[in-house]
Amino acid sequence: MLEVRDVTKRYDGRAVVNRVSFEVRPGEIFALLGPNGAGKTTLIRMITDILKPDAGTLTLDGEPVGGARKRDVGYLPEERGLYRSDKVVDTLAYFGRLKGMKDAEAKAAAAALLERVELDEWMQKPVQQLSKGMQQKVQLCMAMIGEPRVLILDEPFSGLDPVNVQLLEQILHERRAAGTTILLSTHQMNKIEELCDRALMIHHGHMVLYGTVGELRRRYADHAVVVRLENGADGPRLAGITGVRDAEPLAGDWKLTLEPGTTQSGVLRALLDRDVALESFSHAIMPLEDLFVKVVREGLGLDHGRSEAEAPVEEVLR
Amino acid sequence: MNLSWNRVLTIARREFLSTVKRRAFLFTALGTPAYFVFVMGISIGSSANEARDVMKSFTSLAVVDSSGLFGGAEREIETRLRADENPFAENVPLRTFRTKVTFYPDMAAAEAALRGGAESQVVVIPTDYLETGRLRRYAAKSSLFSSADRRTISSWLAKALLGGRLDTMTAARVINPVQRSQLFTLDKDGAFVPRDDRRDLLDFLVPFGFAMLLGLCITVGGQYLLFGVATEKESRILESILCSVSAEELLAGKLIGLGSAGLLLVGFWIALAVPFVGAAAVAVPVSLSPVVVVAAVLYFAFGYLFYASLMTGIGGMTSNMREAQQFAVWFSFMNFAPFIIITVILSNPSGALATGLSLFPPTAATTMLMRMTASSSVVPVWQIALSLALLAGASILTLIASARVFRVGMLLYGKTPNLPEILRWVRKG
Repeated sequence: MLEVRDVTKRYDGRAVVNRVSFEVRPGEIFALLGPNGAGKTTLIRMITDILKPDAGTLTLDGEPVGGARKRDVGYLPEERGLYRSDKVVDTLAYFGRLKGMKDAEAKAAAAALLERVELDEWMQKPVQQLSKGMQQKVQLCMAMIGEPRVLILDEPFSGLDPVNVQLLEQILHERRAAGTTILLSTHQMNKIEELCDRALMIHHGHMVLYGTVGELRRRYADHAVVVRLENGADGPRLAGITGVRDAEPLAGDWKLTLEPGTTQSGVLRALLDRDVALESFSHAIMPLEDLFVKVVREGLGLDHGRSEAEAPVEEVLR
Repeated sequence: MNLSWNRVLTIARREFLSTVKRRAFLFTALGTPAYFVFVMGISIGSSANEARDVMKSFTSLAVVDSSGLFGGAEREIETRLRADENPFAENVPLRTFRTKVTFYPDMAAAEAALRGGAESQVVVIPTDYLETGRLRRYAAKSSLFSSADRRTISSWLAKALLGGRLDTMTAARVINPVQRSQLFTLDKDGAFVPRDDRRDLLDFLVPFGFAMLLGLCITVGGQYLLFGVATEKESRILESILCSVSAEELLAGKLIGLGSAGLLLVGFWIALAVPFVGAAAVAVPVSLSPVVVVAAVLYFAFGYLFYASLMTGIGGMTSNMREAQQFAVWFSFMNFAPFIIITVILSNPSGALATGLSLFPPTAATTMLMRMTASSSVVPVWQIALSLALLAGASILTLIASARVFRVGMLLYGKTPNLPEILRWVRKG
């Protein structure tokens, strides 16, 4: 398990990461969110032991990251780069050797990975002959070679076509099933909603949101329910229901904003009493993208994150 | 600093192989000596042939004699020159050149003959020549590097002035009082040894060659490092690498791998030079003491470490190769600065300038090697020890500072730090 405890990093006296704590479990896909300049890259660089924290600890299975533990971490940075004149297989084998693999073992692993990302035909070609998307897949292989226990992917979907996005998603599921700890940093909120188990959002270096993705979306949603009607003509009948402040169409559904104190079961009963035929009835959840914007625009959670920074992480969670 | 030598050697191997496999490496390996041979061949060949070329074209001399002293002078001048000016060439035959002498009544007639191509040169001897020794020469062109024609005219004048007053042998000695002199000078062991052109040439070439090889080795290794770091930074791959290795391991691997590539290159050049050096060494034996060899190895090690560290720091803090080169050129220049004043150093190897430069770390390696291999110099052991200690200290400090700059600067793109920022990196990196 990757554990980050009270980690702080300062530049010129300014804390770009301020007492951040979280953990990522084996077999989990964990999202690291935040607006540009929030401190995500600095945090990732500390996890990968490229930067040293000014305070706090970063451990992998109880041991400090870095040193011999470097072989347990694979990283796809946002800044993409490859040795352009080297052959694809040689590039990967080199990274395999840096992870402690023997020559033959590294080459075999490189070949297997290239086959998995459907680049086996390009194995002997120089990197510069590959398209941007292909090069990105090679970099993904660089991060995965040696089967690291922690895989950190920074914007892995950018530049990939839909077919390759799907391929990457499959690979992530495979890795998760194999017990790999996956830390995913992306601005594609739909991917986080689809793939990630839990998420941490940081803003101005502070933790602002931390928890399961579903929980976060529910926690910050309006006091509302979303219903799908069997008969679209019933829409106007939603107005005036006791306890419903407002009814508005929402992408084919209806969002009913509730009066304070109104319970979901009370509204459901009222709807049924009016003989409104329902196809579905659910608690309204906030799209992660809206939550993200709310955090950045309105500073949601920022004060909370700052004041709670003193408290143990579990308390911040709740 | 806890290094994984397995990772260091993996990096070193890649750096070495990727460098020596480049076409540019082969081009440098073969092109540089070819360029030197070409330039030196033209330079030495043309200067060696200059006297012959001058004499070949000096077939006729027009004389306008207003002094009346040379009426009885010979009408043909015979000049003998060595057919090959190479000082290492043995038993070179003499070659004879003949110059026809024609007297003209006035300058106008002689000038017309010169302009018409009938005469190679005109010499005008004024009436007061005997008192003043002044005369004028006219020629269509003159050689920058040879005065063979002037010597020929001088001999002809002397012979004519002495004509009939001395016996032939005495006259010949007056004209050429030193046919061959041998100079004996003290060597490093305090014994007098004969000197000649060959020894003089070697006394220059041996220190020059040694210092040049050392300088090249240091500079080539440093340049590879600069190129390696700058291009790696430009290619944005550093972050991926640094996830797998520490900055110190990366630096150590590069130092070893690229230094080895530089050594291979210089080793190849030495191997190419062996047949030529071997031939010269047979003609004039050159002995190098083990102290010089050991010192050369140490100076290489510390000199390389010093310059390679500097280049790493520069590569780490700049944004691209072009910018890195602009900074690096000044430091490379320091390494070769002693060659600009090599004559001053070799003519006075124990002088203040030579001693100072051999103690100053950036110029220590090349200058001290020049001093140690100069035949007339005995460098005190304490100076060698102090020079090496200063260079070693400077190398280690530079390595530490560069590693800090490298660690901080390698992930910064698009901005070159100013001096206060660099100093802050060095303090806190």
